[in-house]
Amino acid sequence: MNRYFYYNVVLGTMLNLMLFIPHILVKYRYTGAISSMAVAVVIGTVLSYTFTYVIQTFPGKGMPEILYLFLPRAVVIPTLLFMAAMWFIASSIALIGYAVLINRFFNPDTSAMIVLALLCLVCIYAATRSSLSVMFMMEMGLIINTPLILFILMKSVRSENMSWDAIRTVANYWQQMPQLAPVAAASYLFTGYINFAIYNRLTPPNFRLRYRWIVPVFGTVFMLISFFVPIGFHGTETVVHYIYLWSVTSDALIMNYGFIERVIFVFLILYLNLTLIYTTSGWHQAMEFVKSCFPANKPDVDQRKVPLSNWIITSVFGVLTLLHLYFFNEKESFQFASGWLILRLFVESITVIGLFILCVRWRRASS
Amino acid sequence: MKHKPSIVALILALLAAALSGCGFKDIDKRFFVVAIGIDRPADNPKNYLVTLKLAVPSPKIEPGAAKAQIESVEAPTIAEAVRLIKSYVDKELDFGHCKIYMLGDSLAQQGYTDAINWVSRRRDIQNVAYLAIGKPDARTIIQSNPPAERYPGNTLFLQFGKDGTESSYIISTYIFDFVRRVGEHGLDPVLPIMRKEKEEYIITRVALLDKEKAVAALTPSETEIFNQISHHMTKSTVTANVNGEIMVLSVNKITSRYKIVKEADGSHMLRMTIKISGIFEEAPMGVYSADWAKLEAAFNKQYEFEANSLLKKIQQAGVDPLGFGLRYRATHKGSEQTWKRWQTIYPQLKFDVTAKITIEGTGISD
Amino acid sequence: MLNRISTLFADAKDLNALRIENNEMIIEIAYISSLCDESKVSDFILVPFQKEQQPFDLILERNPQFQLVHDPAMWTHIILRGFVLLSVKGKIYSLDTARIIRNETPLTQVETAILGPQLALSEDLVDSINIIRSRYPSPDLGIEEKTVGSMSQTRLMMLYDNRHVDPNVLSEARLKLQSIRIDFLNATGQLERKLNGKRSLLPTMMITERPDRIVNCLQRGKVILLMQGSMFAIVLPATFYEFMHAVDDDYDSFWMTRMLILLRYIAVILTITMPALYIAVVSYNPELFRVQLAFSIAGSRSAVPYPSFVEVFIMLFMIESLIEASLRLPKYIGSTATTVGGLILGQAAQQAGLVSSIMIIVTSVVAISNFVVPVNNMSIAIRFVKYPLIIPAIFFGITGVTVGIFALVCYMTHLRSFGKPYIRIFGPIKAHAGDIGQVREE
Repeated sequence: MNRYFYYNVVLGTMLNLMLFIPHILVKYRYTGAISSMAVAVVIGTVLSYTFTYVIQTFPGKGMPEILYLFLPRAVVIPTLLFMAAMWFIASSIALIGYAVLINRFFNPDTSAMIVLALLCLVCIYAATRSSLSVMFMMEMGLIINTPLILFILMKSVRSENMSWDAIRTVANYWQQMPQLAPVAAASYLFTGYINFAIYNRLTPPNFRLRYRWIVPVFGTVFMLISFFVPIGFHGTETVVHYIYLWSVTSDALIMNYGFIERVIFVFLILYLNLTLIYTTSGWHQAMEFVKSCFPANKPDVDQRKVPLSNWIITSVFGVLTLLHLYFFNEKESFQFASGWLILRLFVESITVIGLFILCVRWRRASS
Repeated sequence: MKHKPSIVALILALLAAALSGCGFKDIDKRFFVVAIGIDRPADNPKNYLVTLKLAVPSPKIEPGAAKAQIESVEAPTIAEAVRLIKSYVDKELDFGHCKIYMLGDSLAQQGYTDAINWVSRRRDIQNVAYLAIGKPDARTIIQSNPPAERYPGNTLFLQFGKDGTESSYIISTYIFDFVRRVGEHGLDPVLPIMRKEKEEYIITRVALLDKEKAVAALTPSETEIFNQISHHMTKSTVTANVNGEIMVLSVNKITSRYKIVKEADGSHMLRMTIKISGIFEEAPMGVYSADWAKLEAAFNKQYEFEANSLLKKIQQAGVDPLGFGLRYRATHKGSEQTWKRWQTIYPQLKFDVTAKITIEGTGISD
Repeated sequence: MLNRISTLFADAKDLNALRIENNEMIIEIAYISSLCDESKVSDFILVPFQKEQQPFDLILERNPQFQLVHDPAMWTHIILRGFVLLSVKGKIYSLDTARIIRNETPLTQVETAILGPQLALSEDLVDSINIIRSRYPSPDLGIEEKTVGSMSQTRLMMLYDNRHVDPNVLSEARLKLQSIRIDFLNATGQLERKLNGKRSLLPTMMITERPDRIVNCLQRGKVILLMQGSMFAIVLPATFYEFMHAVDDDYDSFWMTRMLILLRYIAVILTITMPALYIAVVSYNPELFRVQLAFSIAGSRSAVPYPSFVEVFIMLFMIESLIEASLRLPKYIGSTATTVGGLILGQAAQQAGLVSSIMIIVTSVVAISNFVVPVNNMSIAIRFVKYPLIIPAIFFGITGVTVGIFALVCYMTHLRSFGKPYIRIFGPIKAHAGDIGQVREE
């Protein structure tokens, strides 16, 4: 059972590459990225431990149900809608980023809009499934993709083209003071736990989460890799020129004896899968948040017949995503993403701490 | 609701009709570019002369069956030249399999910035393609047709890649590596120089470049030492002249290590230790019974001298292809000052190379 | 009684409606002679009735084989199932004298195993249950009888192990069986389709003829459906992995069978994706594979006038017709047709420049790997899955293939076989730790 929690954590951590996080960190490499990452580890760990404490107090209940326990409907509904927006934005940024990447590397002659429409269609379909199905889908996807991704990462770390001097040079800048933007970006790597705001509905009554140390350990290791490896490949100066840093980095690798020679294609296919899973999961949660606003809604984690409301809500998400790509270019999208990351840090901290306070109060009152 | 599936199918079919033709291009309607040469023509140095080697696929794959089509066009910019070439050929150009980007010698001398800019911006160009300098110009090299090629460009691919030949005179440079060196503080690019002799390619020398143009070229023997120091190339040799006899050691293992230290008088010294072990490949009879320690000492002395003069030559060219500057930055406090200081240190840097050559065997025991 | 029956079966020449009498009484009997074993009729009814050693009504009361029929509405039904109807002193009895023509001790043909049992299920329910019961000697074996088909009135038997079966599965199976609306039920596959839902892409129930597989499944708490007149049984619920599992995997060498399981998964992936991948690589992303491969594909395709997807459709059409033809043709011609078609057509098509030689390889890989799937109904379902995947490949290349596979995985994860997840990695879960989705908020 525990493993489903960690699937979310691992997915969130691995997907950081798609959300411009390495690029943001690299931008601050001389001005506080290292110390920001250290701060982010602390923040991420504290938040994840706090949050897991809350969800273990209410097994089988998602965040909407917990909020309804304590707060009046008038307060809860705006909160839920806001949450839905947060989840939706996160996954849509990743999806849009990916559509652009596909347009660049796989289908240069098809417009990014059409590619995005295809991705949206399949995500709409996938997100309308029940929570349980989404969870199984995430499991399947991760089990198939993660080993290969780890293999590529290992290959990159061990590559002889990596310049350790460049990495050491950047690491020497650890004394700089941390800054908000890189802290927000780096703390994103630890944020997979927050998906249990909805998926906690699936937890059995005697749910006990173990091995919580995985969150900080995996997050830290992955953060270091995703920050330092591109520096090792592209040097301390050139590294900042690439927005899709990791796709360029994976292009610097070749598998001499592999079936597919250029690692970038394997990498892109794997991350396409991850992005689809991430978006599906994000939209599904956003959809559940929206649905929880209606008083008639009864959460059903294994609903076989997909209700029409699911289709309507996710289709709206799809259309909004398409509109975003239509109105914003690459640069604006990136700024939007970095702004969103900062906002996310605050919203997430407030949510988790708020929930924690409610939870502690409730425990006191009931004991 | 009864006809739901048929309606869905109809919508899909309409969508499909709207989409069709988006980038659908069969493999036989594409021309694979296998190598590109970029030159500055002698009569009009403001223009670019772009030469493409296009693979002509044939159903038969056997030695000598490779056919290639060469197209070259002169234009004020590279992008324009490539676009012009498109109107010369009957199929769509595909750069996806292009592995060789060759800069003409004169282009490298005059400044390569625009060419590299084009290469690194184009999305369909591999980051792991090879970059090289063609002498006397890139076009001559691209045009030549090695007689035993199985398919077009194969000789070039194999010569640069590690799948085929592994020569100590070849330093292959990936595009991403080159681009990183162009931007990096404390690390400068190098490129192999390719020449043509009869219908074959020869790579024996390496060019040193600064951030804008080529500044010097190493001789073949210097290239070998450079390769030994920077890439620990084991398929190489060490040569020494002992008492008028030439002895050649084939290398089994190389390690090199260096440190930049501050001397008592405030000047900086680079101390480099190179450990090489190997087996005699060429030596006079009687070497087995000779005193190996003495031989090693002779080897050490000659190697140290050669390495020292190589480092001096590089230093005098004002470039840093071995990344001493980056090492200095990596081992000192992270700040702008460190880099500024290094820029004043490097021209005055002194070198102290210690070679430790070990003879493992003599091949035969006389 | 006789009048009524003769009006019901007015046009049935094979109806025997007799009135016979001995010293004591007059009885009426009615049966369809073609359905019944006439010797049984004479042994049980005619002879004792004529011999008069015992009063015949006493025999009827004492012999439990004679059963009292209360409802006249059941008469036709009873007669049609090969029973004899007797009317004695105003009471109506029935006696089972059915003579069922069936295959005698059949051998496995569809799902063969080299070292496994060679006996398959029988087309007769009783024989099949005999085979199963003798292999599964347990008092916990529950057997329920159902009838499905408004016209065919096909008898079904539902078998399960009381101790292991999941009650939710059992009740869902009962519910689904009840809700089936069909006139005629001829084969197990038909029943499976009815239970599965009409447009299901993949089967969620296994169809098997192997008693050893059935017994294994019973022991693991599955429900078995047997049908009169079919030598195949339905096993439910089933997960995707079980379809990839041959019975041999438990009988043969451990390492080899593990490798074979892996090979089957690879084969399934290949057979589904190869045509789509071919289109994607040839028409969108030739830079995906090595330059050597790209050139050899380009070389062999240079004579082909059509776009890649037409080529794929030509070859797939050919191979599917070959498979279909070899299935339809009489056994002795079947192999000739395949040889002729496969060898000559393939060779000629390539030489004529209609398809590339790589495409020939792709087609054969697709066809061969398809038959690696051990369970036949899955094999056929998978045969279709490659077609939907070709469409995104035509329009989006490798992206389309990836997205298509993702959609397929989504579809599969949303499938449930009688409430059980269809495809889920690491099935069993520690009971004390609980499972996700265990609790439903009502």
